[in-house]
Amino acid sequence: MHSAWADDSDIPPDTWGRRPRTRRFSLPWAFLVVIALLVVGRFVLSPHLTAPALQTWATIFVAICVQALPFLVFGVTLSAAIAAFVPPSFWTRALPKRPMAAVPVAGMAGAVLPGCECASVPVASGLMARGVTPSAALAFLLAAPAINPVVMVATVVAFPNEPMMAVARFGASLVVAVLAGWIWLRFGRTSWIRVPEHRHEGSKVTAFLSAMRHDLLHAGGFLVVGGMAAATLNVVVPREWLDSVAGVPWLAVLTLALLAVLLSICSEADAFVAASMGGFSPTAKLAFLVVGPMVDLKLIALQIGTFGKAFALRFVPLTFTLAVLVSALMGWMLL
Amino acid sequence: MDAVVSRWSQNLTLILLGGAVVWISAFTTSYLNYVKAGFQPFLIAAGVIVAALGVLGLVRRPAAHEHAPRVAWLMTLPVFAIVLIAPPALGSFAASRSQRPPEPPANAEYDPISAAGGPADMKIAEFLARAFGDKKKSLTGKSVRLTGFVTPSKKKGQWYVTRMSIACCAADGYALQVAVLGAPAPKADSWVEVTGTWVPPKWKKLPSGMVFAEIAAAHVQPIKPPSEPYE
Repeated sequence: MHSAWADDSDIPPDTWGRRPRTRRFSLPWAFLVVIALLVVGRFVLSPHLTAPALQTWATIFVAICVQALPFLVFGVTLSAAIAAFVPPSFWTRALPKRPMAAVPVAGMAGAVLPGCECASVPVASGLMARGVTPSAALAFLLAAPAINPVVMVATVVAFPNEPMMAVARFGASLVVAVLAGWIWLRFGRTSWIRVPEHRHEGSKVTAFLSAMRHDLLHAGGFLVVGGMAAATLNVVVPREWLDSVAGVPWLAVLTLALLAVLLSICSEADAFVAASMGGFSPTAKLAFLVVGPMVDLKLIALQIGTFGKAFALRFVPLTFTLAVLVSALMGWMLL
Repeated sequence: MDAVVSRWSQNLTLILLGGAVVWISAFTTSYLNYVKAGFQPFLIAAGVIVAALGVLGLVRRPAAHEHAPRVAWLMTLPVFAIVLIAPPALGSFAASRSQRPPEPPANAEYDPISAAGGPADMKIAEFLARAFGDKKKSLTGKSVRLTGFVTPSKKKGQWYVTRMSIACCAADGYALQVAVLGAPAPKADSWVEVTGTWVPPKWKKLPSGMVFAEIAAAHVQPIKPPSEPYE
């Protein structure tokens, strides 16, 4: 909108003189195929889908998805509301001018923005685009999905007998976020990050609804991936194998940290999955909870897409290493 | 570029998913197979919001660019699982692969079991706690009734009456099992009420490895599966 006024060239835009595109309704074919598969499958396949392993897999898969949905919806709604109704200038004014001080403040700000990691990547890139120091935006990116109220409540609910788990998760995640921000401030180069441009179109309500739908469709899809992986793990991996790994402290921490990367579970649901990892030590579960919201497959994909490969190649190993070390230390102190 | 999901398909997918969640939580009790009963209002609310978002997306004029990645299609998979497989509550397959339950508190005090009015109904978790952690051995000689499903045992002449326990959802479930002695094993996964008395263990200290509390069955009654399958 603004650029249309600033544009002082005399040449009319190339859309002039073109025939306006007629809005033709095309049938959502792919969706109709989905419905047809559901109806046909119900009568043809259902009688054969009774193997106990498959049923158990499906129960756990549906359970993870169904359980996570309310948290996901709540997070996406709030994050869309903040994105649509809080003016971008607010963030620039709220943060200290000195980058050293801005990093921890931005990290703490993560505690008030509910959302999972999929939501925090676009918000962080928006902050950068509006002039926030990249390292502060990155501290926010790391902290927000791990320490916000929705995730904290989910963690408390998932570990009813271990109240210190939520405290340790908050502490460890914040420390990792601030350390990563400071390290990036000291050693990072501007050329490594691609700062994208953000545009806003339409009314606030439209922006709110489309942000919500966008986040839900992204995060929901990845949540399903995580649910499938977790259910497969539950059914396929022999308990003895996991138990044998769980017995060795450092191996247990590393295993669950790697598992967090592979499973790519939304931070609003990961506490429930961690709670189901029966034989593992609390410290290993903490590593799962600290690593998951900061480094996982879907986040790496999102970060490459948003900030570029050069960034992800350096930032991902940095945060993974920090997260494992800090959660081992924090678990040793608190759990 | 075709790597996106059309606006209609996006919104219809949301309606489908939201509708399925509302269906299992508001109109049937099958949500109890997946989560704790307390989650029902949140599930209904989430399902309604997701479906409403889809409806609004169909009714309102779209913003300039509304694209969703292909991964959004995966949101139909839970619906496929619900419609095609209708996943039941975790049963003997999950129980036989379950982690061991957390150990009950040692040397705890329990209320005495009243013998009046026939066998005392007891949760399997309570039976285990009394069997392993009760200072006064209050189970001794008392007739109790346990409700659960049947899990076959590798040992001869016994089977397990089992209940899965969940903290939040079925993904974190573990099995609570009591070995049933002196009764032929019913069909795996069928639900039963076992009336009997506790068989005190022969060992003095809890040995390492998997040990089961035992009940000598006086009567085994087949029952219908309860709507709330977990303990």
